Amino acid sequence: MAAAFAMAAAGVAAAEAPYRLLGQTAPDFALKATSGTNFRLSEHRGEVVLLTFWSSRCGQCGAQLASLSRLVDTYRSAGLGALAVSVDDDPVAAARYAIAHPVSYPVLLDPDKEIARTYRVDNLPMLLLIDRSGVIRHVHRDYRSGDEKAFLERIKPLLDE
Amino acid sequence: MKLRNSLFSLLLTAACVLAGMPASAADSAAPAMAEVVTTADAAPDTRALDEEVQAIKKDVVDLNRDLFILEEELLFPANTQVAVFLSMDVGDFFALDTVELRVDDKQVAKHLYTPREAEALLKGGVQRLYLGNLRVGGHELVALFTGKGPQGQDYSRGAQVKFEKSVGAKYLELKISDRQNKRQPEFLIKDWE
Repeated sequence: MAAAFAMAAAGVAAAEAPYRLLGQTAPDFALKATSGTNFRLSEHRGEVVLLTFWSSRCGQCGAQLASLSRLVDTYRSAGLGALAVSVDDDPVAAARYAIAHPVSYPVLLDPDKEIARTYRVDNLPMLLLIDRSGVIRHVHRDYRSGDEKAFLERIKPLLDE
Repeated sequence: MKLRNSLFSLLLTAACVLAGMPASAADSAAPAMAEVVTTADAAPDTRALDEEVQAIKKDVVDLNRDLFILEEELLFPANTQVAVFLSMDVGDFFALDTVELRVDDKQVAKHLYTPREAEALLKGGVQRLYLGNLRVGGHELVALFTGKGPQGQDYSRGAQVKFEKSVGAKYLELKISDRQNKRQPEFLIKDWE
């Protein structure tokens, strides 16, 4: 019980912690997707990008991935894209999870956690909203059902820019 | 990069201040005149101002380019400069995925290619994969290529070259091409004398 309380408290602290990369240009990277294709973030300049860091062992990550998939399906034509970066040590486990829970955007593999370190990921899932010019505009840690509405409130103004 | 950015900001500020000067001077000299200016008279003024702004923008872009060149000359002087380029020809027998570059057994560059980047190379693009400094003398360059081979299987190949760095910049080119008679890709390292 005490451990669960400590974890919940840590989660709240992380959710409220300031994010140092906010307002800065998102660092560029290239990663291999579970499909075998390579993706580079800078090639999505001009789109609003949802960049999420997740793991197959994280309870809420699957729900967030599905939620983002619905958003991307709806707003793709308006210029919304997404990249999900798995920080699993075992890329096979991440690929297996991605196959079992298909999403409409690329699932990328970062087994060395090099990109996660660059982005100072301190919580899973962690969602970054990147505007059309490549600047990190919002950060959202954790996921609870109903967060989709909050995402949308932040995404829409970025799509209108 | 920081040096260039700060110089660039300084020059941009100076350009803006200079651009603003005539307008402020005119405003303070004849404030009453502005009230009687008709819209017909204002149009040519706006055009002239727009042209001036465009000229300043062009100057800033030129300055940025010059600063970029100066920064490169400062960070990579010709005496120690080594640049490695990558080009690709045809590509029927090899689909490029990654290139890793090692100089004197130390990894200096690694690049993961997206389909768009590979396509750009196939269309004749040349990528500068590495720019660095090396001492005068003998060095060894090893390039490791991975991708898909002629039958779509995973394919990995290395190429190496020993080269002599003399006084003056050194340029090397990694060239991926198809060897039609063997139906295999070919990986060459060309030394631009």
